[in-house]
Amino acid sequence: MIGLALRRTAWSVLVVWFVVTTTFLMTAAIPADPIKALLGPHATPETIIRVRAHYCLDRGIAGQYGCYVKHVLDGDLGESYRSKRPVTAIIRDRVWPTVQLALAAILLQLLVGVPLGVIAAVRRNRWPDHAANVFGLIGQSAPTFFVGTLFLYLFAYRFGWFPIGGYGDGFFGRLHHLVLPAATLATVGVAYYSRVVRSEMVEVLTEDYVRTARAKGLSERDVVVRHGLRNALGPLVTLVGLDLGMLLGGAVVTEYIFAWPGIGREVLQAILEVDIPVILGVVLVAGIAIAVANLLVDLVYLWLDPRLRG
Amino acid sequence: MRILVLAALGVLAACSPDRGPKWRPAGNVAPRDGGTLRFATKDQVRTLDPSIEYTEISSYVLHPLFDTLVDYSPAVRGDDHSGLEIVPHLAATWTVAPGGLEYRFTLRDGLVYSDGTPIVAADFVYSLERALTKADSPFGAFLVDVDGAQDVLDKKAEHCRGLQAPNDHELVIALTKPNGAFIDILTMSFATPQRADHVAKAGDQLRREPLGEGPFVLDQWDEGRRIVMRRNPRYWDAARVHLDALELYENIPRDTQFLMFERGELDSAERLSAPDYLWVMQQQAWAPYVQHRAVMNAYGSRMNVRKKPFDDRRVRQALNYAVNKDHSLKLLNGAAVASHGILPPGLFGRDDSIAPYPHDPAKARALLAEAGYPDGFDTEYVVMNDDEAERLASSLQGDLAEVGVRVHIQLMSFSAYVTAVGSVDGPPFSKGTWIGDYPDPTNFLDARFHSRMIANENSNNDSFYANPELDALLDAARGEPDAAKRAAMYHRAERILYDDAPWIWEYHQLVTEVVQPYVQNYSLHPIWLRDYTYAWLDVGPDGHPVPASGGGRALPDPRGK
Repeated sequence: MIGLALRRTAWSVLVVWFVVTTTFLMTAAIPADPIKALLGPHATPETIIRVRAHYCLDRGIAGQYGCYVKHVLDGDLGESYRSKRPVTAIIRDRVWPTVQLALAAILLQLLVGVPLGVIAAVRRNRWPDHAANVFGLIGQSAPTFFVGTLFLYLFAYRFGWFPIGGYGDGFFGRLHHLVLPAATLATVGVAYYSRVVRSEMVEVLTEDYVRTARAKGLSERDVVVRHGLRNALGPLVTLVGLDLGMLLGGAVVTEYIFAWPGIGREVLQAILEVDIPVILGVVLVAGIAIAVANLLVDLVYLWLDPRLRG
Repeated sequence: MRILVLAALGVLAACSPDRGPKWRPAGNVAPRDGGTLRFATKDQVRTLDPSIEYTEISSYVLHPLFDTLVDYSPAVRGDDHSGLEIVPHLAATWTVAPGGLEYRFTLRDGLVYSDGTPIVAADFVYSLERALTKADSPFGAFLVDVDGAQDVLDKKAEHCRGLQAPNDHELVIALTKPNGAFIDILTMSFATPQRADHVAKAGDQLRREPLGEGPFVLDQWDEGRRIVMRRNPRYWDAARVHLDALELYENIPRDTQFLMFERGELDSAERLSAPDYLWVMQQQAWAPYVQHRAVMNAYGSRMNVRKKPFDDRRVRQALNYAVNKDHSLKLLNGAAVASHGILPPGLFGRDDSIAPYPHDPAKARALLAEAGYPDGFDTEYVVMNDDEAERLASSLQGDLAEVGVRVHIQLMSFSAYVTAVGSVDGPPFSKGTWIGDYPDPTNFLDARFHSRMIANENSNNDSFYANPELDALLDAARGEPDAAKRAAMYHRAERILYDDAPWIWEYHQLVTEVVQPYVQNYSLHPIWLRDYTYAWLDVGPDGHPVPASGGGRALPDPRGK
């Protein structure tokens, strides 16, 4: 199992390298000089030349790439063209808000989506099942910008239950600010998780071992939770892992709507201003997050199912 | 994405039954001390190092934190010419030697930084030299008229001989040639005094550890989220500062800002998105609290006059006649005025007697035919990737199609746009934009149309327009001490540019801001835009705003949060 885990880790490193290199080549191909935009219209040609050299932009693509890789291997992701801050410091500041948002969204998805799926499966073809289906359809169809805006309008602006935007101070302040963006992000996930759990549960509940459990006189609750749900959760592990990886890369639309100071907002701004070191830094971090999440999913599978270890 | 969010918010907000002001002025006669004024921007402050920061929103923070030898007078509501007079700040007095080659400033007594250490004249020499020597400072070019500045820029000298501090109270600046706008340059934040030992000690952290001497001092900066500035009790004119603090929220989308404003989470909202702007403008209840101000900008379409077909003046004039400026003004919801040149309304040297080109498609077609383009021509038009710019480009495309000019719009990111249009081989026709740094014609006419500003790459004169007559006129006007003669020269320069039409002269955008009714003694400033350093809050004795009687829904008291 250790050998397999090491092989998967090596593949993950390769994937991250590939993603970052591809992004580097794409940003290098953009016909824009961020230094001119950065220094403004009055910068002398000498200043522009000096600053371009400072950021290795006076070299060819191979030279720039070599410069970048060398710094990355030294643990230095470079310096933002816009703010002159080290990219590591920017990412460090932005990761925690994004992690909070991602975890809150996943938690909501699980807390609401799983029970909804179970109820729909147990009450199959009755009104709870139909209601969950309709909710799932709407949740999966509604775009995030619409759900976010609707929540913002209703629960923040109209009813005043939550703040309109921002990050909040202190534990409760933060929690208060977190509810709407997390709920926005979770809407699609809740719908999706409930449908997956329902479909798995419907299948599992017809299995022989469930019939046996019922025949042994176990309560319906024990049958559903201990024998049904436990065995239906497998695919959910994959979903949670992938979602977590994706969300750690930044939820651009949600962070934009709610002015949540996460990685998504940062990278959006960086893309608009061609702040290449920040773009590459975020891609690297997001790539690592997704790779690690996938790796963890694989390892959990290996741990759960001994048949895969062979 | 922004368009979708904005449209969705607009529709939803329009459904709201009652959106009048929720609070009213408490009725204090004398300015009331205390309180925090909260405002927001959709952008983010990059650095607080005054020798580097050079973005449009930087003045929202740098101006309260740093003071300069001289500054512009405060703006007065309803007076479009206010806010442009140079007044003494850190300098008690100054004299300009005959011929305009020497400026001698005497500092006020007892000036100190926010940490209590004294400000001396040598600190000004240090900060101005820092602008010349710091690799990534964009301000060196502003000081090229100072004697010896070019040598420092060229690394031939370490110190600038034209900057001298004979004693702690006197600063002498010698120029190599007169520059009528030099005093304006000294209002810019990079000209604030800086203490060498603080700069050395702070190192890379100077960007977030400023040592200022302005009316406010940095209290907290949670980067990308919020900047809090507290009143500086050591400020030389502390009595005129009434607010305890200013809070700037960063990265708040414009549409979200307005919702926050309506909820009372912000005290002002600026550059409203179109649905909010149109809605506010229709509300009588909000009218007293909405401000418009012409600021230092000019917008149009710039043409590379070296490239066909734009090398023919008749073509350029034809395009000026073809564009219907009313369309642009409508698309900007009326928050703009039509232009006849690059100098904005209210600026010294502008000739108000010149009328903008009228919309005359017949004349445009005739001029095109005369120039050899009876069937028009095809051309690419480069514009920044911005929803407002895109809408205006589509309007221009429609106007020019009427006279046979087939425009193909190409969208670019800001960086790509700046790079492309500044290149002599770049796109010949594009959106033209200029935001001035200080209110003097040199910052507009010289910067954009003098032939010495032409370069093959990164050209400031991106029309590549060279006219010896205009050059001579601008050079003479730059050093002319007599204001009337100088103004006459700029009038002539404006006329030359109007006739030669290196741009399609389109509009000057107005800035619009709406403030809560309890914000007093505040007016949009033509240079600093949102200068709240003179403002005060007309709230009740408990520090909370007084609810508007009969108007608006009851909402939680925002100031209690």
